[in-house]
Amino acid sequence: MNEDRALLDQLKGMWEATDPSPADLAERVLFTLQLEDLEVELMKLTDMPVLAGARGAEATTTITFNSPTLTVMLTVSGDRIDDDGQQLRRVDGWIAPAAALRVELRSASGSQRTTADADGRFSLDAVPGGLAQLRIEPTDGAAVALGRPVVTPAVQL
Amino acid sequence: MATTISSVAPPWEAAARDFAAWRAGDQAALDRLVRAVTPVLWHLARSYGVDRDTADDVVQTTWLSLVRGADSVRDPQAVWRWVTVTARREAWRAARARQREASAPDEVLDVAGPPAPSPEPAVLATVEARALWRQVTRLDDRCRRLLRVIAFDDRPDYSSLSAELGMPVGSIGPTRGRCLDKLRAQLADDPEWSGR
Repeated sequence: MNEDRALLDQLKGMWEATDPSPADLAERVLFTLQLEDLEVELMKLTDMPVLAGARGAEATTTITFNSPTLTVMLTVSGDRIDDDGQQLRRVDGWIAPAAALRVELRSASGSQRTTADADGRFSLDAVPGGLAQLRIEPTDGAAVALGRPVVTPAVQL
Repeated sequence: MATTISSVAPPWEAAARDFAAWRAGDQAALDRLVRAVTPVLWHLARSYGVDRDTADDVVQTTWLSLVRGADSVRDPQAVWRWVTVTARREAWRAARARQREASAPDEVLDVAGPPAPSPEPAVLATVEARALWRQVTRLDDRCRRLLRVIAFDDRPDYSSLSAELGMPVGSIGPTRGRCLDKLRAQLADDPEWSGR
């Protein structure tokens, strides 16, 4: 049995080296667990380009999430630095099916709110870089009636 | 001395302790729990052949379900089993859903033959590590999956594994032994493998 365990430990080391768990996964999980209301529908990440290392000033990233009720596409661009040295990014979002839903973008330093237009589009032009998460709220009068908030997993902006 | 021996507590004991502490109001304990167990859940999910994004989702969903349903885990001792079984089940479902989408109506997959061998990852620095990796890729899917699960979870719940691997509970133990023996035999034949 000890011999088995030794080989299994070598296998464990091999998988840890060749297919490591993303370094910030636990961080992103904990970010989501800080939501005040966890009775949410968690979206799935369907398309996230791999950003290797340095992110140039011109970098534009498109991230797509979906759930049984909604698809959300976020285009993240810009790389301004504000007076406090905080990196600021611009987020353009598109919700499908199109609906004027209220959205909240949570980041480590706080939240920003806006409402999508009837085409499902919204934008926030000064979002702090780092971990962020979009929360889409049930909204009276919107073309899509949500039973509960829909939340994206936390991603690095 | 007994204290030095017991200092290497099994991970499920640490998980139970942290879960109990968190439920008693210690927020930092949840941080410890999530940081310690997240990599394990990741590897369990990846055992089922899901891609990295899906494994990421599986881990997030598992933790959200745990925290949301924390009251349903009555015994903190059960928390390790709860999260590992949940992550495995989620990954298994996702893998099956993807297979259904991908499978052509007339069983094309069965005649497609084995996939081309993937290149050896550059992170494997030693000859030994590369030999191990090479021989693991030669194992059949079921062996590779079972060994990866057991490598990260010494005492997996056999009843859920049984459904996921399509084998009776009674054959999991013997299959585990057979898979390890097979890997050892392959390694013994690999000129670059020199024991341990």
